[in-house]
Amino acid sequence: MNFLTIRKLLPVFNNVIIRTSTISTTPGRLSKDQEDQPNFDMDNPFEKVQMKCILCKHNIQVDYKNVKLLSQFQSPYTGRIYGRHITGLCKTQQELVQSEITKAQSAGLMATYLKESCFLEDPQLFDTENPIRPHKY
Amino acid sequence: MITYELMLLLRIMPKPEVKQVLQRTADQIFGKGGFIRKIENLGTRDMPYKTSSHGMVHKQASYFLYEFNVPPSSLADLLDEYARDVDVIRRRIYKKREPEPFECTLQEEILPPPYRKDVQDMIADAKKHDKPKFQSNTGLDYYPFQK
Repeated sequence: MNFLTIRKLLPVFNNVIIRTSTISTTPGRLSKDQEDQPNFDMDNPFEKVQMKCILCKHNIQVDYKNVKLLSQFQSPYTGRIYGRHITGLCKTQQELVQSEITKAQSAGLMATYLKESCFLEDPQLFDTENPIRPHKY
Repeated sequence: MITYELMLLLRIMPKPEVKQVLQRTADQIFGKGGFIRKIENLGTRDMPYKTSSHGMVHKQASYFLYEFNVPPSSLADLLDEYARDVDVIRRRIYKKREPEPFECTLQEEILPPPYRKDVQDMIADAKKHDKPKFQSNTGLDYYPFQK
């Protein structure tokens, strides 16, 4: 009824199509539409998984008596401790590993200038040739 | 009360003598008013490096671990007494570490440098040392006078 009055007011634009609402206002259909609406309150499904370092992921407590674990963070050629850019540990774990290795070496549990030959066959936890970021020097 | 760990390296001896040394070292802890929680035998094995003590070079040692409590002031005396013990090759006392829960921060650390907190702090710190720039306070975004 409404648009007829507009037509009368604007006789010049007779060929103009005036759009009217096509949605019926029955309550049953409206609720069904709402059901089909996507749920915008859900968590972001594309969010990336938080990366964790290998010791945090498996919840390993580093201890100076666990020489087999500590020697995996030691170079077989020089006996020096690999840095964070190679081991891929988080800052806290790296500091822990370093302090525990120093304790073990001081207590006579662990070699200082080499990796003990019984640990040479141990699996590699990280690739020493491809550090995750370049050397700081 | 702090629990300490004593790592004791004894020279290679027959069993009765080892027993005597362990009793002697334990008595010294009791003498300081301490008590022992645990004694662990970590075995006899080749040392990772040779050690000379009391005029002898040792390449093998028996490893023993004591877990004990003593007043912290008597730690130096204990170590001194073990140092004078001929059968002890090496001794170290460490605090027993209680595992503290912490969050893994690897995700923030592997971000590109401009997004890392420590790098941002470093840049902000470096900016403090910049030479102060002259402020003309004209309200204009260009220099109004002839240069």
